[in-house]
Amino acid sequence: MEEYHHGSEGSFNPEEADNIVKECIDNIIGGVDYSQSLVNKWTASIVELSLTQLVKQGKPYKYIVSCAVMQKSGAGLHTANSCYWDTAVDGSCTVRWENRTMYCVVSVFAVAIA
Amino acid sequence: MDEYQTTEETSFIVEEVSTIIKESVEGVIGGNAYQHSRVNQWTNNVVEQCLSQLSKLGKPFKYIVTCVIMQKNGAGLQTASSCFWDNSTDGTCTVRWENKSMYCIVSVFGLAI
Repeated sequence: MEEYHHGSEGSFNPEEADNIVKECIDNIIGGVDYSQSLVNKWTASIVELSLTQLVKQGKPYKYIVSCAVMQKSGAGLHTANSCYWDTAVDGSCTVRWENRTMYCVVSVFAVAIA
Repeated sequence: MDEYQTTEETSFIVEEVSTIIKESVEGVIGGNAYQHSRVNQWTNNVVEQCLSQLSKLGKPFKYIVTCVIMQKNGAGLQTASSCFWDNSTDGTCTVRWENKSMYCIVSVFGLAI
């Protein structure tokens, strides 16, 4: 008898992760302006909150969440990611967010536990 | 009889990875000034170079490499990352590099299979 593994309960869902991350960002830096003294706390809170919410889903994954917050001042910023993993089960999602004074880029990488 | 695998062959060694990153960054953008038209290609090349050198190490790891290049013009940039993994086998290494016109930050995350 075969055991059928339901795909959506155990696999990485990028849209779900996207929503989780957007909510975290909005909660933490939603209506505020860039502040040199607070940005340290913000990035730490964003990654911790996102990670907690992702782990709560209870899926068999290891997670890496990375966040960059940059002041809007006309500078150019470019980011790239490359991953060496199992494309069938692992996945990633990147959220770009901005307000009047800053950009925020959050990337989530989910790596399946064997 | 036990098959003994040395920890060097199967663990994440930060110095080794750090050297790989530094060489890749130097090789791709060392000596260049920030150029908007080329930065896309540069970030891609940096991550690809790092990843191919890392996979050549032949260790039982999955890797994630991220690269950020930012023009120097006084803007503030803050980055943070948080990981939910196995502390005894997984590891990370971040290298911050700069020249006169830009900053480059590369992070490598290694997760044991």
